[in-house]
Amino acid sequence: MTAKTQDAKAQDLPAAAPVHSTPLLLRHLPYFIVAAIAVFAAATMSFDGYVLNILMQATTFAVAVFGLTVVLGLCGQINLAQAAFFGLGAYVVGLGTTDYQINFWICLIGGSLVALLAGALLGMSTLKLGGHYLAMVTISFQQILTLVMINAIWLTHGPDGISKIGRPALFQSQQSFLALCVAVLALVGYLVWHLPDTRIGRAMRAVRDNELAAGVAGIDIFRTKVLAFALSALLGGLGGGLFAGGFSYVSPDQFSFAESIVFLTMALLGGVGSPIGAVIGTGLLILIPEWLRFLKSIPGLYLAIYGLFVILIVRFMPDGIWGFVQDMLTRWCTKRPAAMTSPALQLVPAKTGGDMVLEVTGLSKHFGGLKAVDKIMLDGTDVTDMPPHQRTAAGLGRTFQNIRLFRSMTALENVVIGAERPGNTLTGNGGQDALTERALSALTFVGLGPRANELVSSFSYGHQRLIEIARALAGNPTLLLLDEPAAGLNSTEKLELHDLLKRIAAQGLTILIIDHDMTLVREAAQHITVLNFGKRIADGESLAVLQHPDVISAYLGTE
Amino acid sequence: MDQILQLLFTGIGIGAVYALVALGFVLIFRATNVVNFAQGEFSMVAAFLMVVFAVDLQWPYWLSFIVSLAGMALFGVIFNLGVYYPLRHRTFLPVIIATIGASIFLANSVLAIYGPAPQVLEGWFETPGIQLGPVYLDSQYLLIIAVTIALVILNYWFFEHTMLGKKLQATSQDKEMASLLGISVSGMIMITFIYSAVLGGLAGILVAPVLFVSIQMGATIALKAFAATIIGGFGDVTGAIIGGIALGIIETFGAAYVSVPYKDAFAFLVLILFLVFRPQGIFGERVAEKA
Amino acid sequence: MALLEINDLMVLYGEIEALRGVSLKVEAGQVVTLLGSNGAGKSTTLRAISGLAKPAAGEILFDGKSIVGLGPEAIVRLGISHVPEGRRVFPGLTVKENIMLGASNRRVAKAQLAREADAMFDLFPDIRPFADKLGWTLSGGQLQMVAVARGLMAKPRLLLLDEPSLGLAPVIVQAVFRIIGEIRRDTTVLLVEQNARMGLSVADYGYVLETGRLALGGKPDDLWGNEAIRAAYLGGHTKVSV
Repeated sequence: MTAKTQDAKAQDLPAAAPVHSTPLLLRHLPYFIVAAIAVFAAATMSFDGYVLNILMQATTFAVAVFGLTVVLGLCGQINLAQAAFFGLGAYVVGLGTTDYQINFWICLIGGSLVALLAGALLGMSTLKLGGHYLAMVTISFQQILTLVMINAIWLTHGPDGISKIGRPALFQSQQSFLALCVAVLALVGYLVWHLPDTRIGRAMRAVRDNELAAGVAGIDIFRTKVLAFALSALLGGLGGGLFAGGFSYVSPDQFSFAESIVFLTMALLGGVGSPIGAVIGTGLLILIPEWLRFLKSIPGLYLAIYGLFVILIVRFMPDGIWGFVQDMLTRWCTKRPAAMTSPALQLVPAKTGGDMVLEVTGLSKHFGGLKAVDKIMLDGTDVTDMPPHQRTAAGLGRTFQNIRLFRSMTALENVVIGAERPGNTLTGNGGQDALTERALSALTFVGLGPRANELVSSFSYGHQRLIEIARALAGNPTLLLLDEPAAGLNSTEKLELHDLLKRIAAQGLTILIIDHDMTLVREAAQHITVLNFGKRIADGESLAVLQHPDVISAYLGTE
Repeated sequence: MDQILQLLFTGIGIGAVYALVALGFVLIFRATNVVNFAQGEFSMVAAFLMVVFAVDLQWPYWLSFIVSLAGMALFGVIFNLGVYYPLRHRTFLPVIIATIGASIFLANSVLAIYGPAPQVLEGWFETPGIQLGPVYLDSQYLLIIAVTIALVILNYWFFEHTMLGKKLQATSQDKEMASLLGISVSGMIMITFIYSAVLGGLAGILVAPVLFVSIQMGATIALKAFAATIIGGFGDVTGAIIGGIALGIIETFGAAYVSVPYKDAFAFLVLILFLVFRPQGIFGERVAEKA
Repeated sequence: MALLEINDLMVLYGEIEALRGVSLKVEAGQVVTLLGSNGAGKSTTLRAISGLAKPAAGEILFDGKSIVGLGPEAIVRLGISHVPEGRRVFPGLTVKENIMLGASNRRVAKAQLAREADAMFDLFPDIRPFADKLGWTLSGGQLQMVAVARGLMAKPRLLLLDEPSLGLAPVIVQAVFRIIGEIRRDTTVLLVEQNARMGLSVADYGYVLETGRLALGGKPDDLWGNEAIRAAYLGGHTKVSV
């Protein structure tokens, strides 16, 4: 019952973002060169009006789809109202420039901010609940917004929409506006491309991969989700504002639930895990229907095929086209591990509360889930009512009985998240390099340094357990909780584990282990507490406890 | 006062429709842990089937009714095999997205075949209604309420007094244990989908003469049914029914006293309010945070 | 020919070897106990037999015929009933309904089912007063009896019992094992236990599993006197060989 495959099948997780070692500028320069060429081409090549419109639609839609890449691809949260946020941005620009004669740029920024705010509020109201609640709320929000657009005629012009929407002074012509859109797309694309490697990006990926472990590693789950959602809304609003400027006319039916599905399909088709996928999906789904224009002549056929597409993609190609390509690439090219060195791991537990590291009073748990506890003191701080990420910040590090690693990431990335624990005095403000260095030290300490850049799924079970321990160690905790660390290990691995525990303890770190493996317990622990049927039956120095008659009968059985 | 009674009657009538669809929703959720976003389309497809048989082919009503329901049963089978069953081991996100895709596919396929104009389905009875004191009882609404009451009783009897009903309950409470006893879990799930499709279809056929038969009716009904299950307490059968009736009443009064165009918004607003302030609904237990 | 024969069984959970090279035999009419500490692979063995877990390699023969690859619903129809660890009584159904569902592997009319359930209460008189109570209201000991009664309703030739004493007070454990003593007359039992003393007290034969491998096998008296069994449980001085 314990070791069932409880996570999603591997195909539901996107590919990892590798950690590079070449200098920042050199890596990014090619991107900006290509982007500059694209902008130049957009501004100078002669397109006929029809092609210009297509490109305009593609670029503005792609910005919105980038939003889905962030919230769904990176953070794993569903957003079915992207068209509503797109519409918000479009309407603010539309109404602002025509009815109120406000400058385009201010309207664009304003529209994006309105969308951001709406996204944040929506997120805050329901992100504490599960996925289908969020789906329902986003759909409801979408429907309400559509109703307001159609019916609040005094504000929104109703079903007639808004026409003759202005453009900024410098970008009056179709062509120059297109160039603007391409430039914005390139900029946003760059940000979304590198988001996974930032601290908040890693937090989002951790939340997506394993929420429980993310919390315990010190990540504020709720805040991360709201941020992802708000960012997605912001990008939707930005795309919408540009859309309004580009087409000069907007109406409510362009921002309906069906459009949200179109955005979703674009994201899924290309591959929700990366901005490249977003661009591919958007491009394909705008260009192909243009070639198959006859489909639009029969109302409904176009969208029916969309719907079918969604089902087929989810079933057969959950990582989208780009995900599929990436899969092929990783199979053909082997990554050469970068040679990295790091100083020996230092563990300096805080110990601000004197000699008592952990004190638990009055802990009981009843069937039915009710539990009561008087107090838990961790190193002098009362952590009784704190959520997991705050307890971690207070100095608690832990591993799980069934290993909880972030499966889409490399060993190094997993451990870096541990190093990012708020309150970690040993990395301070050293930035990315200090974090990476500390993470590498921790991995080397557990013996896995040379394999830091491999995906965690390629490690054996015993080694995955070591990575989990390294993740906890990287945070420089005051107390290390190990829940059945020997579970599933063979005898060789158990010996390695025992050796590791000795080395950890030698650095002054306090460890609390729960385990059944009496060999490990006997040789590693100085002090043993034995629980039987929820009551403490023995507590004291190891050898004495193991020879205690109550303990022997509890383990071998009473008559 | 007269108007209040009248509105109450209408509210209960339309609420009964939401209750039926909500029931189908909850049954699928309890058996498979999946929120079926295409539930409303079951109602819409059934209504269109009725139009095909009763209006286009001019078959007698009772025959069209039976054939349409049979069609819905078959539809439930196809839906299970095509959408849910292949994804049954995946996480909830792909399944939600797949049912959304199914919903879009169904609504737009019907649109492509039938065109956008709403269809009209005649009521079942010659007499349009009975005047009971100050209240005019529309006969179609009376039929809806009567059928819903009958179905709720039937549903209760089925689940509480037949072994099949017990097996279905067992499957939704602990699939693995059910299989260890010899209960065919995939069979139980198939039955659940068929039953939910027929329930949804029945709701659609009953409500069709009251609303126009349109492509959008599925989506609106589904979201309102979902709101009903949230109000009643998600996953709770009694809650779904009471939530449906409650929502029907709220909506009808809202349309009369506040605003007509925003009638549909009430359901969504109530949904959001409940989710924010009382996610467990009236009857449900505490909603567990999804880990 | 043994009623149940397992040869060289290997079960993987992802990459972990939960079981490797496990071989054992259960003769008809016996009570065989499988011992081992937590995580040793005892439950996995039962899950492989009842079809919940697919073996990666090895044979499982019931009455000489292979049952590897069959689903749980088919295996219980062949006559193997698995009472899993944790009882898993359906919380929203009554005790009587739970027990009646135990016959789902056979075609039985509802009236006949009710009669058989009543007969089951004769074997488990302690739970008769709870017949119409919902599953979630019962205590651990009561649940265990309901679970065993439900398992017996399948009229199995082989009953798989997974840790019946888990979480129960010693007095209840004795009651449960007394019942095992009574059903062994008609039903072969493969019992999994962490409680070695209790487990061996009813057994004709015993096996000891340790980290997925078979460490020992023998008659209860021989096992009990063996130092290795203490080592397997208490990590004694004996170096454990794999």
